[in-house]
Amino acid sequence: MAKLLETKNLVTNFYTYEGSVKALDNVSISIDHGETFGLVGESGCGKSVTVRSVMRIIQSPGVIEGGEVLYCDDAEHPEQCEDLLIKSEEAMRELRGDRISMIFQEPNAALNPVLTIGEQVAESYMFHRQRSMSRQILADVESGKISFGIFSPLLKWAYRRASENPRAPALRLMSKLPLLKLWGRPMRREAVNRSVGIIERLGISNAAELVTRYPHNLSGGMKQRIVIAIALACNPTLLIADEATSNLDVTIQAQILELLQDLKERRAISSVLLITHDLGVVAETCDRVGVMYAGILCEVADVKTLFNNPVHPYTRALLNSVPRFCVEGELATIEGSVPNLVHPPAGCRFHPRCKAASDICKQEKPKLVDLGNGHSVACHHIDEKIGE
Amino acid sequence: MTAYIIRRLLFLIFVLFGVSVLIFGLLMTFSPERRAAVYVTTPQQAKDIPKLVKQYGLNDPVPIQYARWVKEVASGNLGWSLVAARPVAKAFWSYFPTTLELNLLASPLVIIVGIWLGTLAGVHRDTWIDHGTRIGAIVGWSLPTFLFALVLLMIFYGYYGLFPPGIISSDTSLWVINNPDKFTRYTGMYTIDGILNGHLWVTWDALNHLVLPVLTQVIVVVALLMRVMRSGMLEELSRDYVITAKAKGADAHTINIKHARKNALIPVITVAGQLVALSMEGSIAVEVVFSRQGMGWWLAHSATQLDMPVLMSVCMFIGVVFVLSNLIIDIMYAYIDPRIQLQ
Ligand SMILES: Nc1ncnc2c1ncn2[C@@H]1O[C@H](COP(=O)(O)OP(=O)(O)OP(=O)(O)O)[C@@H](O)[C@H]1O
Ligand SMILES: [Mg+2]
Repeated sequence: MAKLLETKNLVTNFYTYEGSVKALDNVSISIDHGETFGLVGESGCGKSVTVRSVMRIIQSPGVIEGGEVLYCDDAEHPEQCEDLLIKSEEAMRELRGDRISMIFQEPNAALNPVLTIGEQVAESYMFHRQRSMSRQILADVESGKISFGIFSPLLKWAYRRASENPRAPALRLMSKLPLLKLWGRPMRREAVNRSVGIIERLGISNAAELVTRYPHNLSGGMKQRIVIAIALACNPTLLIADEATSNLDVTIQAQILELLQDLKERRAISSVLLITHDLGVVAETCDRVGVMYAGILCEVADVKTLFNNPVHPYTRALLNSVPRFCVEGELATIEGSVPNLVHPPAGCRFHPRCKAASDICKQEKPKLVDLGNGHSVACHHIDEKIGE
Repeated sequence: MTAYIIRRLLFLIFVLFGVSVLIFGLLMTFSPERRAAVYVTTPQQAKDIPKLVKQYGLNDPVPIQYARWVKEVASGNLGWSLVAARPVAKAFWSYFPTTLELNLLASPLVIIVGIWLGTLAGVHRDTWIDHGTRIGAIVGWSLPTFLFALVLLMIFYGYYGLFPPGIISSDTSLWVINNPDKFTRYTGMYTIDGILNGHLWVTWDALNHLVLPVLTQVIVVVALLMRVMRSGMLEELSRDYVITAKAKGADAHTINIKHARKNALIPVITVAGQLVALSMEGSIAVEVVFSRQGMGWWLAHSATQLDMPVLMSVCMFIGVVFVLSNLIIDIMYAYIDPRIQLQ
């Protein structure tokens, strides 16, 4: 499989009053085209920070300090990768929401309370699809489907320009002038029409009415679908779902996961990066899994290997802490607590809670070692663990 | 919506009742002779105060006197102003336009400058723009208005002879009085009357006198608005929907203006009531220092000379302004925040 996204030694810090929070320490993950990758770990281990670093939407006081984020849009030409961290902000804007988009954890907070649903979904199209919308409007005017009366010549000119370059200076000037700025209206209407389309495709029947409402009129599940609609509007290559279902009840959660699966099968999206606490969801939906602990990546493997032959002590503990129907015995908890990331433990960040910790664990950071078949582990005691 | 407005207007009656009882109680602590002035409408009557005390029963129990006063006010007699040497109702219409003119010019400036600077400071947090506006705000906020007005007057008028105090220069004023056929005082505001009569030089003269008062008023009032706007922007920019917008591919301008500022304006509207109060308070000091004969000047002089009919009427007027401005604020609130429904 061809690689889609690869982070190499990603380092992100937050500069707070208490000191610098070392939220990510050399995180390296890689996702292939067509793959569903699961990222798991306790709350606060840096899952959200990882994916936000990938999209470069870390809020201050967070700073991406180092590493690479390689993105290879074209599966046929894997050599044409670009490092997202050195791209210009403008180029990143074009990528966000178009090639890579994200679904957020908390649907109640993720939508702007004072803008209508239609306006918020339509933004995705207004940011990335002005060319194609202009072409469509132009075609509609020329075929006589819609008419602007005496303004037709002016609007035709404007939309011909916009289908070549939506950011042309003449159009930008027009948008600032009174009356003339109305030229953009048909385009905004088209963007809302497309929004109605995408919302309907997510299985909501009254979409045309829904787009005129505000977020506070909607239920949590409905809001989450809108957040998903925003992310899916431009058919992204990579969809990042950051605990997209954590705050919803079980039935809606199942519906939404099914929806994502379905979209992947229909090729609306290519790859999914799924962040979740729920190992059951991972087992059901993911191809490969990465396990994070306190800002480091402990272990990466395909789903079967990870569940059957976990190597890292933290992965093992994590799997043991999940209730299983068929296994009797006590549920294990992981002793100790998540370390403070202002002063993370020296050496392996997991060593204070690790039963197998030895002197080397306290002094040296373990490197991520490839065990073959895409199974990598960062632990000093791999050899002893594999046999167990 | 209509029901809501009607209910609020009914509420106005209670406010006026409360204000009048309060001020009336204050009035009752003065001697009956002084209070007789409330009922005086002509200069001749002012000489027979003792007769008036008896005639109007100013030694009667307070509730009876209050009922009588309400009756007088209801019939349109607000009393005689010693300061203005005119009936209060008549004096009101000569002072009110001056104050209105000042606030009509200052308020839009306060709103535009306050929102703009507050947004700028919030967006460029912890840069020199932010620090600069904040220091300016603290200075404007903490210096007394009259001191500020005096300093400006001293610098501009004292040193450079620019922007004289008063409403209009005496030459212009004389010309206006002597040429009633050429200059009609439609609104009582020289700036607007100058335009309406086609004598733009009068407008220019009046504007020259307005520069410093408006500047003082804006600087004193704008600090509050700016502070609220800045903290609102900071709060909104840290919200999750801003990240959603960023992840959609929004540019900084869209995020700041379309997303964050629209939300940050909501708390600004809640302090709009305070802004109205500040403007009124500001007008008093500004009009006294720049010797502009407006409501604030009138109120200040009436208070020092215990001109009770004026104090009563002006306080009632302030009550009306407050209730009406709060009503407008509520309507604006419902307009900008879709979560609020007036009922
Ligand atoms: N704005 C911030 N300021 C300071 N530190 C932050 C900030 N955001 C995140 N962090 C730090 O980064 C670490 C990782 O946070 P992150 O949100 O990525 O966790 P997470 O794995 O997504 O957890 P959850 O499952 O709760 O969403 C946290 O321990 C936190 O201390
Ligand atoms: Mg998170």
